[in-house]
Order: sequence, then structure tokens, then C-alpha cells
Amino acid sequence: MAQPTTAPPERATGPLTYDYVTRAIARTLGNPGRGYYVLLGSAVTLLGIGIVCLLFLLRYGMGMAGYSMPTYWAIYITCFVFWVGIAHSGTLISAILYLFRSGWRTAVYRVAEVMTVFAVMTAGLFPLIHIGRQWFFYWLLPYPNERGLWPNFKSPLIWDEFAVGTYFTVSACFLIMGLIPDIAAVRDVATGWRRKLYAITSLGWRGTNEQWRHYRPAYLYLAALATPLVLSVHSVVSWDFAMAQVPAWHETLFAPYFVAGAIYSGCAMVITLLVPMRKLFQLEKIVTVHHFENLSKLCLLTGMIVCYAYVIENYVAWYGGPTPERDAFWYRAFGRFWWAGWTMNICNAFLPWLLWFKKVRTNITALFVISIFVNVGMWMERFVIIAVHLAGEPFEPYVRAGYNATWADWGIMAGSFGWFFMWFLLFVKNFPAVSVAEVKEELPAPRRAAARHA
Amino acid sequence: MSEQMNRRRFLTVLGVTGGGAAAVSACGSDAQRTQKLIPYLIQPEEQVPGTATWYATTCRECTAGCGLHAKVREGRVIKLEGNPESPINAGRLCARGQAALEGVYNPDRVTDPLARNAGGELEKITWDDALARVKAQVKAARGKGIAFVTGNESGAFGDLVGEWTRAVGGAHVSYEPFAFEALREGNRLAFGTSAVPWYDLANAKYILSFGADFLDTWLSPVAYQSAFTRAHAFAAGRAVPMAKAVFVGPRMFLTGMNADEWVAAAPGTEGLLALALAGVIVRERLAPVPADAGRLRDLLARHTAEAVAAVAGVDAAAIERLAREFAGARGGVAVAGGMAAHYPNGAEVVAAVNILNYVAGTVGKLVRFGPNEGLEGSGSFKQMADLAADMQRGKLALLFVHGANPGHSLSGAFWEGWAKVGYKVSFSPYLDETASAADLVLPDLHPLEQWSDSRPRAGVWALQQPVMQPVFPNARHAGDVLLDLAGKSQTFKDYLQARWRPLHARYAHGKTFDEFWAEALQHGGVYTDAPAQAVRLGPQAGDLMRGAPAAPAFDGGAGDPVLIVFPSPVLHDGRGANKPWLQELPDPVSKLTWHAWVELHPETAAKWSVVDGDFLVLQSPFGAVRAPVWITPAVRPDVLALPTGQGHKAYGRYARDRSCNAFDLLSGAANAYGGRTFVVRVSPRKTGEHRFLATSAGDSRDLGPGEEIIRVLPLAQAAKLTPGAHPFAEREAPAYAEGALAGWAEAQRAKASLGNYAGRQPRWAMAIDLTKCTGCSACVTACYAENNLATVGEEQMLRHRQMSWMRIERYWRGGEGGAPVRGVVTPMLCQQCELAPCEPVCPVFAAYHTPDGLNGQVYNRCVGTRYCANNCPYKVRYFNWHNFAEPGGAWEAWPSPLDWQLNPDVTVREKGVMEKCTFCVQRIRGAQNQARLEDRTVLDGEIVPACAQSCPSEAIVFGDLHDKTSRVAQLSEDPRGYHVFETLNTKPGITYLARVLHGEEA
Repeated sequence: MAQPTTAPPERATGPLTYDYVTRAIARTLGNPGRGYYVLLGSAVTLLGIGIVCLLFLLRYGMGMAGYSMPTYWAIYITCFVFWVGIAHSGTLISAILYLFRSGWRTAVYRVAEVMTVFAVMTAGLFPLIHIGRQWFFYWLLPYPNERGLWPNFKSPLIWDEFAVGTYFTVSACFLIMGLIPDIAAVRDVATGWRRKLYAITSLGWRGTNEQWRHYRPAYLYLAALATPLVLSVHSVVSWDFAMAQVPAWHETLFAPYFVAGAIYSGCAMVITLLVPMRKLFQLEKIVTVHHFENLSKLCLLTGMIVCYAYVIENYVAWYGGPTPERDAFWYRAFGRFWWAGWTMNICNAFLPWLLWFKKVRTNITALFVISIFVNVGMWMERFVIIAVHLAGEPFEPYVRAGYNATWADWGIMAGSFGWFFMWFLLFVKNFPAVSVAEVKEELPAPRRAAARHA
Repeated sequence: MSEQMNRRRFLTVLGVTGGGAAAVSACGSDAQRTQKLIPYLIQPEEQVPGTATWYATTCRECTAGCGLHAKVREGRVIKLEGNPESPINAGRLCARGQAALEGVYNPDRVTDPLARNAGGELEKITWDDALARVKAQVKAARGKGIAFVTGNESGAFGDLVGEWTRAVGGAHVSYEPFAFEALREGNRLAFGTSAVPWYDLANAKYILSFGADFLDTWLSPVAYQSAFTRAHAFAAGRAVPMAKAVFVGPRMFLTGMNADEWVAAAPGTEGLLALALAGVIVRERLAPVPADAGRLRDLLARHTAEAVAAVAGVDAAAIERLAREFAGARGGVAVAGGMAAHYPNGAEVVAAVNILNYVAGTVGKLVRFGPNEGLEGSGSFKQMADLAADMQRGKLALLFVHGANPGHSLSGAFWEGWAKVGYKVSFSPYLDETASAADLVLPDLHPLEQWSDSRPRAGVWALQQPVMQPVFPNARHAGDVLLDLAGKSQTFKDYLQARWRPLHARYAHGKTFDEFWAEALQHGGVYTDAPAQAVRLGPQAGDLMRGAPAAPAFDGGAGDPVLIVFPSPVLHDGRGANKPWLQELPDPVSKLTWHAWVELHPETAAKWSVVDGDFLVLQSPFGAVRAPVWITPAVRPDVLALPTGQGHKAYGRYARDRSCNAFDLLSGAANAYGGRTFVVRVSPRKTGEHRFLATSAGDSRDLGPGEEIIRVLPLAQAAKLTPGAHPFAEREAPAYAEGALAGWAEAQRAKASLGNYAGRQPRWAMAIDLTKCTGCSACVTACYAENNLATVGEEQMLRHRQMSWMRIERYWRGGEGGAPVRGVVTPMLCQQCELAPCEPVCPVFAAYHTPDGLNGQVYNRCVGTRYCANNCPYKVRYFNWHNFAEPGGAWEAWPSPLDWQLNPDVTVREKGVMEKCTFCVQRIRGAQNQARLEDRTVLDGEIVPACAQSCPSEAIVFGDLHDKTSRVAQLSEDPRGYHVFETLNTKPGITYLARVLHGEEA
């Protein structure tokens, strides 16, 4: 096992140095402790549970999950939208903030980006899991075939497939692109099989002037390419709903509402992941309270947009007139799923008001707690939109029915968390979870001690 | 089912599905399994593979005796439809009749003779052995008491049983749990004849039903429903106005739901009300009262409106109004029966209603004696009760049971006596309660496999012929068995033909017997007009209901609520319980499936603080049952109601151990008129237990009045509508969008040249008249039979995963602030929208638009995203959550041989695909192909979807909207027409015609 460095990080009191950054970050790749294996083991166990549940689903049909007419979509699509939403802050932090030259992003963007790629990988599984005949999933893809059959490009599900596919491709490229100089940095200190792995994955990076000269514009170009995706992906996902005529789905508001919600949940998830990681890897000096405050400001902004969207949604339902729309929102608030509706309102629309206070924004514990609530709330928001509004389908009162999820729903959802955290944990132990190169960009260039004395 | 997981199943799943990609594709491979094709090497004559053969026969699911056309494909009967020539049902058929198919293919049929062995178990024996045992038993039992119990047999089989039983010195007892004894006795009291007449509802102008649920269970439901809707339909400009229907009784049956007014009289007071009405008519000289009605003066004088009002809980003013309306209609008819004939005073109620008819001058006009119901042979409950008493006294050595299941409908005394009978022989094709306790079971053929006949109505001789080879070749016709026992060499067919010789002599008009016989088989029987009989008031008519007007006394504790036990419209006396179509068919009123329930008025429920699904133990003096509560405004607050049909202890996998048996609460003793009393006082006790009720309706909290779906017009308003008026027309698109929509339509037309969309194509459409639709649900079962719909079972029903492409929605209206309670119903099926929301959202074009305007669904292409179902505002798309066709699977809907019933023209759907109503596209294509072969166009009315075909009230009309002369095109232009959710601009192919109601409110 390679050990890039074993030296404890010096408790530097002065400004960060290049050396400290390299060593502190490389140290995260050191021998994993027992805690790491426990975490990884739990993630793999969850994944295993999910796989077993999925096998039951495949063998016995979608009826193993809790669906009931008219709740034709439920936990799986909720998870799909949830994970796509999580994926959003990554690109926002890495691409948009890069274009705006926000220096603070350097400490957190790698985690956000990794989260993005793995969250999209997780999200992408759900449409395949939830369809009735999973073994024909490839019929959704436009591939040439002897029957001359193409998918229906009018269907929002096909748009979705393209949007999520594109987003995955671009964000994966962007992640790898940013990783190259860092991998090269750890390659130089690694030994054994890791050295070989890094030698291959660093794509021959030597850090020459020539390479940097090409690298910077390419990175900028990718950032520019990824930026519109931040807005487009979740807009398209929202159209899965907004293009249908189900009351409380059929809203022009949905695209911005979903994008804001996605960034909101993504930022919350970054906080949720960073707080323990920073602690475990002792990166307090690199990822500071300042970074958290900025993240929480982003949360505050998007949270306010989400809160506004909730208000407007209800207002339009009341003001707009068509009674099915009104019935739908009445059902959300006072129907049999009132608890889901109010959980969503409290977690997403009321709690972020706390972030107006600097004391809260700079309190890591408070932020962690709020971020968990926002994660729960955002999951609940998707559940409310999808399962609750289908169950309370206001056109056809005769079919309005309850909905009870089963072990197959919860098992596969747990499996998705296992899948996500498994990849995340494997990543942070094998690749630098904080950008070595870019953090250094924000530091003053090192000088020789002698020169300083002179 | 799903929740039960043991180690073996767990490993199976891992083993079957865990093997990687190849195994994943294997999950869906059941439907694609290689199957062998067996060529017709020796092809039977007259059988063309792929072409159906139709046989005329007679339905034996109840005593009505409807004519059947059995559709046979490749030697298997796959569908039952009404015989259009039968004067009983005129081509229509109820749900129960159609479900006879699941009787013939029932997986729990007895395949071989069974005898009880030394260990007390039933085991297979040979027919020779079985017959030898019966002969020995008969010999031994001679003189020690032999009895033969059958159901109602009005034809040759009943005669044979009678002859044979007499020959061996036994008694023939005919037993039907609902045998209409009160009708026969009531008619005898009033008119001195125990015949049950034909009520000409079709020509009535006012229909007053005292408890008679003629749409569901009374006498001949298909015939009466057809007649009722003829009188009660609305047609603008019709010479005879729409008849008004009033239902009197403590529970609103389906008939009450379809009536214009429900008079919730206290139980047992229906007869008093009838007399009060008659009194008003006589006193106010509202009708030309017959002279001999003077004998009734005392009787009517005692039953004044005021005196009755207090007892019946009905306003005196309302009684007088009803009397004036009834007499003023000049053509009103009153019928009594059902619940009103199940009281201890049932016969008197019937007699009182007869008197009402008599004083109103209806008898002989609309109440026609002559074409009487063929109920003479149906025996009475008294005979059965006497037999049970004989059994208890040990006076019976040998008992034969055929076509009856007294073990289910009689409790206590019958079973005590049963043990004392020396030897019990059952002819049942199923191991019902009685058969499974018998010493010998000689499986009879199903009525669809056998020769027989019946005489459902005077003048109607209905013939029954085998429509296919017996499903289980070792079952034997009970008639053949009896002839064998009698030592005769003829078959039952010979016996039957011999019995038809006199008919040949009377009606052959010079044809040979063979010609006459072949013709009768072709037509399903011989149909003649029965001569009318004149009846006069009988000598006892004035002696009814002595003393002051009072409700009858019911058995049970004085302060306890009254419980009405009523025949289930679907399972009837329980004989339907082994048929999954019927178990899953929602009760037309309660919409509950797979379980019994006890009905409670909301006020009572609030008083007792119980909710839907809470179990009550109901204790009567004769027994107790545990039943879950169903709260409904359709019963009086002081009355509970419980259906029969469930609670079997045997009778196969679908019936056994399901809910409670309502018969357990009833007395086993016959009442004054020899019938059974189905009303008893019970003391209810809460148990604290709860069960979710499997209903086809959604959450009752969210149900509402369904105003967007069912439109109602008061008669006065409907009568004023002129052609071209559209009271329900809503602007489908706002004005500013019309230009855009027109442009879009133009673009679509241009694109249509790519396919065959541009040519002259029909636009298939449907018109459903809600004034005619009664909600009887015959169409639902027809759809199950025609389109291979899976039954999903109670657990899946609880998750609302039923596959019912055609569902009957029922909403309650009124009931608050004194407004009358009203049940309204509508069929809901795929609307075949022109701008269908389901189509554009399907990512793989499984949902697509056909050139003739259907919303096609390609099962083979469907991957099951279910987006179409989300986007369908009518919610008429159904998903295959499990593989319902997997042999041996946990959710198997067609365990062999039920799968023999599957329609070969329709795909059986795999798990994971969406399915929906197709307007019976197989029938459309069939008719189009036929027309093409004959080089002509399809005629209007040639294509009849299964639902429209079965509908007893002819509420559903199908056809081509582009053909302006078609019936559907004309009905679609009816001023009453509307589209459900018109504002969504889906342009449905189904036009509903608003329900018209007598009365002020809509």
C-alpha cells in the first residue's frame, strides 16, 4: 500500500503554505483506518440490500413496490429527482463560480464535483429500475434497428434521458480534467500499484508550461460548456412533470423552481459531506468556516427562491381558478399526506430563514443539522410532488387512493445511498478530495526563507 | 404472497435473477416461452380454426332461465352472450350469467366420483363402484326414508328426479334459498292463485317498487332491467313521458339508486304503506276502482295515511302525494318482493301491494297473469325445514343432493340432522359444504356441458345443449346416472327428447321431430305466447293485516337494531363465490369485493363511533357473525344490512374461509307463509379489530359527489331541450388559442399524408346514456371475459391494482340538510381521446393513435414507464404489477383449466406492461375483415363491443362518428350529451348523455 506521506500535518499557525497543502491533502490518501472500513462496509451492505430488493422486483414485478392506482410513480422517481438535484451544486460550484472567479470554491469544488458525478450515476439507475420491463430499457435509446423504430422525441422522458446523459458526460469530463494535475502531484509521491494507476490516470501530466498553457483554456471551455447544463438538466427533469397535465405538475414555474431546489439540496448535501470529511481528514485549515459561510449563503439564496416558489404555487392555485389545481393544493396541505406536505414546507421554506443570521452561518454544527433537514425536506418535496399529487389525483375522484411504500421501495432507496457512498468513499481514499493545484493558486507563492530574511 | 418470504424463495430469487444479464432477460421470458403447435390432423367438420362456432343454450345460474349464445373456439367455450331470440333476455346477459364460464372451467371441480373411505377422507373411485354403492344404499334404505334435494328444476330433469324418487319410495324436495315463497303466497291471499305474474314494466308510466330489487336479484333481473329502462329512459319528444320510479324500503338497493325517489320506510311497513296508498286512491276516487274492491273497505279504512305514517316513518302528506302520483299516472304498476318479501309478514306485504295494483286498475293490464314465472316446482323453505326436522329425528336413511347447497344456507338444525342420515350422496361438481360432507360425490356435468331444459316462464321452453366436450371427461350427467340407477338403457338426451314429443305435437306445424328438434336447438328453445288469465280479488283479500297498523315483530332482543340479510347481487346465495370474476366484481351499491360487510348509516356509525372496516360481532338469537362495517347513507339509521354469499367453509380456493356467512344469523324455521325470514334483530358488539375493505372506489374521504363526471338534469329542464342546444357545452379552448389550434390541426393533416391517416377513416365512438345505465355491472364481467382481464385477488385490490378496464363509478349525492340521498353511477372506460394525453408522453410509441381514432396500446412495445397512466385524467389505464399469467405463480389469475376460457383473439399481457380498453379492437377488425371479404362497408351496429353487447338496458351504443347516419353520431349530437373533463380539450370519443331525474333538484 502506498503511503504518500506519514508525517502529521504541522499545526501551522501562520498562512497556509504550498507544502502544507500538498501534505495535508496527500495525507487523505493514507492508510484507511477502521472507521473508514466501517463506513465502506455499511455502504456496501446497503447496496447489497438494494440489489436483493431489485432482484425481487425483476422476478416478481413492480407490484413488490408499494404502487397503487393512481400512484403510478412513487419512491423510485422521487429518488431519481432527489439524486439529480443533489448533482446540481457540483457543477454550479465548479463551473459557474469558476467563471465568476470566486476564490473560495477551490477548497470545496472537488467534493462537489465528485458528488455530482456519483449522484448522477445513482439517479440514472432509477428510471431503469422503475420501468415495468427493465430488460427492455434499451428501447428508450435511439439506436438504429432493423424495425426502423425510434423513441418518441415528443416524450419528456426522452428529453430527460438526453439531459441527464449529457450532464453525466460533461460533469465526468470536467471532474477528470480538474483531477489531472492533482493526480500527477500524488503520482510523484506514490509507490506500488497506485503509482501505476496514477501514472495512467494522470494522462502524462508533467506540469510543464506548455501543458498549463493548454490546460487553462480547456478548463475554461469546459466550465463554459457545463454552465448552461446547471440550468438545463433540472429544467428538463421538471418538464417530466410540467408537461403532464396532472394538477400541481402542470406549472410553468417548475423549471426555475426545480433548478433552485436542486442547487439548494446540492449545497446542503455538500455541507453534509464536508463537515464529517473535514473533521476526519483534519482539513480544518483548508476548508474553513469561511467556505461554509459561503455555501450557506448559496443555500440561503436558493432556499429563498424555493420558499417563494411554494408561496407562488399555492397563490396561483388559489387565484388561477381551475378547481382541480385548488383541490390538489388543498390535498397537499390537508389531505391524508398532510405530514409530507408540512415536512417539506418546514424543512425547505422555514428553516433556511435561520441562515440570515451570521451566527448560524458560521456555526458548523448548526449548518450540519440544517443541511440534514434540507436534505430530508427536499426528498420530501419530490415525494409530495410525485406520489402525493398522484394519490390525490383531483380530476377523477373515484380513484383517489392511499399509498404505502413497501420494503422494496425502502430497500432500493437504501441501496442507492449505499451505491453513492461506496463510490464516494472509494474516491476520497484514492484520489485527492480537495484540489491541490487550485488551492495553491489562492496562496501567495512560496519564497525561500533566505530570501525573506534578506 | 409477497410478504411471505422464506429461505427457499429468497434463494430462488437470487438464483433465478442473480445470474447476470442473461438471467435478467429471462425474467420477462415467461410470455415468450417456446410452446408446441399442435396441428389439426383430423379436423372436425364445421370447425374452422380461428372462427368461432356459436351454440344456443340456456343459463342456469339463477331461476330466470335466460337464453345463451355460447361462443366456442377450437372446441372450447370462451364467452357467453345472451340469445337475442330468447323472450326472457333478448340477447342480454347479467354478470352472474357470464361468469358461468368460470364454473365450467373452475379449477376446483370434482373430476371423478369420490367416496368416503375408512379414514373419513374422500377418495377417488370408479363409476361402476360408485353406482354399485348407490344401488346398494337405495336397496337398503327403501322404506326407511329417502329424500332427493334439488334446486329449482322446471324441466325434464326435475321430472326424472321426481319419477325416480317416487319409484324408490322417497320424497323430492326442491330447495332455493331465495324461492319467492312470499310472492306465491301473497298472490294466493290476494287473488287466489299462487302463480307469479309478469309485470309489464316496459309500458308502465309509474313504477313503485316495494323492496323488489328487480335490477339485481328479483325474479328475472335481465328481463326486468330491460323493461325498466324502456319505461324509464328519456327520449326527447317521446309521446309517453319518462316513467317515474319510486323505491320503498329501509335499504336502497340498486333499484333504489335508479329510482327517482327513495321512501325509506321502516322495515316491515311496506305493506301498510301499500294499503294506505290504496286507501287514498279509493277514498279520493283517483282511479276507476273495481266493484269488488268494496270488500276491502274495512281493511283500507284501518290503514289511513295518518295511521300508517307514524308506524312507517313516512310523512302522511308524502303518502297522499305518492297515491295521487301513482293513480294519476294512469299506468302505474307496483311490485313487491326482495327485502319486503323477506319479513315475517312478507306474504301480506305482497298481498297488500297486489291490492294496491288492483284498486289502481293495473291488474290484467300491467300485472299480467298468464306468462307466469316457472316457479311452481321451486318448493318452499318449509319443505326444506321439514326435511331438516326429519333428518334430526333420524327419519332419513338416504339423502341425495343436486344443485343445492343447504350446508351453506342452513345452519344448526340441518347439520345436526346431517349426522343422523345414514348415507349422503351429492351430485355437485364442486366440493361445496354439502358435497364435502357427503359420503359419496358423483360429479355432475356443468350445465354448459349437458343436455337439459327448463321452463322459465309459461310459454317458454328453453333448451340446454352441451356446447363443448366435458372439461373433465370422468364427470357424468346426473340424469344419465339416475337413468342408469333406474335400470334404463336410454341416455338423458333420449329422455329429454321423449319429454319434448308433446311439444312437437303442438308446435311442429308438420315438421318431423328431428327437424323440430334441430330448430329448437338452433333457437335455444320453443317460444310461444301464454294465454292471459283473468284474476279477481280472492276470498281472503279483505282479511289481511288484522288489528291496528303495526310493524311485524322480529326475532331478537326488543331494543336491538334490525338487520336485513339480502341476497348479494353478485354472489347471490353464495353460488357465485367460487368464481373469481364475481368475487372481484364490485357490488353495484357498495363497490366492495372479495368480502362481506355490514351496512351502517353514518348517524349510527357516529353514535357507535365505528369507521369503515371496524369489525362488529352481530349476535342474533340463532347465531353470530363477525363482519366489517361499511358506512353508507343508503340504509335507514335504525337498520343494518348484511349480504349473503360469503363465509363458505368449503367450495374451492376462491370461496373458502372468506368473511362471514349471513345465513348463520337466520332462523332455520319456516315462517307463517312457509318461507324464510331474512330479517332479525341483532345485538352488535365492537371488537376493536379492523380490516381494510377491498373496494374499487378510492378513498371514501375524497370521493365527493362526482359532479364533474356525472351530469344530472331535472326532467322539466331536459324536456325543454331542443336539438342543437348544449347545456353542458363548455368552451374547449379559449378564444385566443383557437387560431393556434387550427394551425396545428392543419399541420397535423399535412403530416398525416405520411401514413394512412389522411384517407377516409372511421372515427370509432361510443355514446353512453346515463339515464339508461343502472350500474348493474354486466358490462364489467363482459369485459373480463372478452379481453382476458386478470383477476388480482383481495390483497392486490386493497392496493387498487384491479384490471377492470370498464369500471362502474358510484357517487352519493344529497343526504345533507334533508336533501334526498341519491346514488349515481357511470361506466368509466378509455375515452379514446382524439387529443389523447397518454400518447405524446410514451417514450417508445407503445401508446399511439390509430388512423380510425383509437388510442392504440402496443403491449409488445410497452416498457412500462407508466407515464401514460399518470397523464390520463380519466385514470383508465391499468398496469400489470405482477405476472398474472404465470402458471403456478403467486398471482396466477387463470389456474388450469380457467385458462381455457382465454380469448385467443386477445393477447394475455405480461408483467410490466400497461393495458387498457381498446373498444374491443379485435371485434372491430373482425367485422372489418368480414366486410372486406363480402366486398362491402361495415354497417352501423355491426360492431358491438363486449360491454355494449351485454348491457341489459342498452345504454351503450358504438359506431362510426364520421358516418352521420349512425346511431352514435346522432346520439353524440343529443342536447344531453357531454364529455367528461371537456375543458381539458382531450376530445373524447365517448359522449355521455346526462341522467334525467324526476324532481326539482339536479
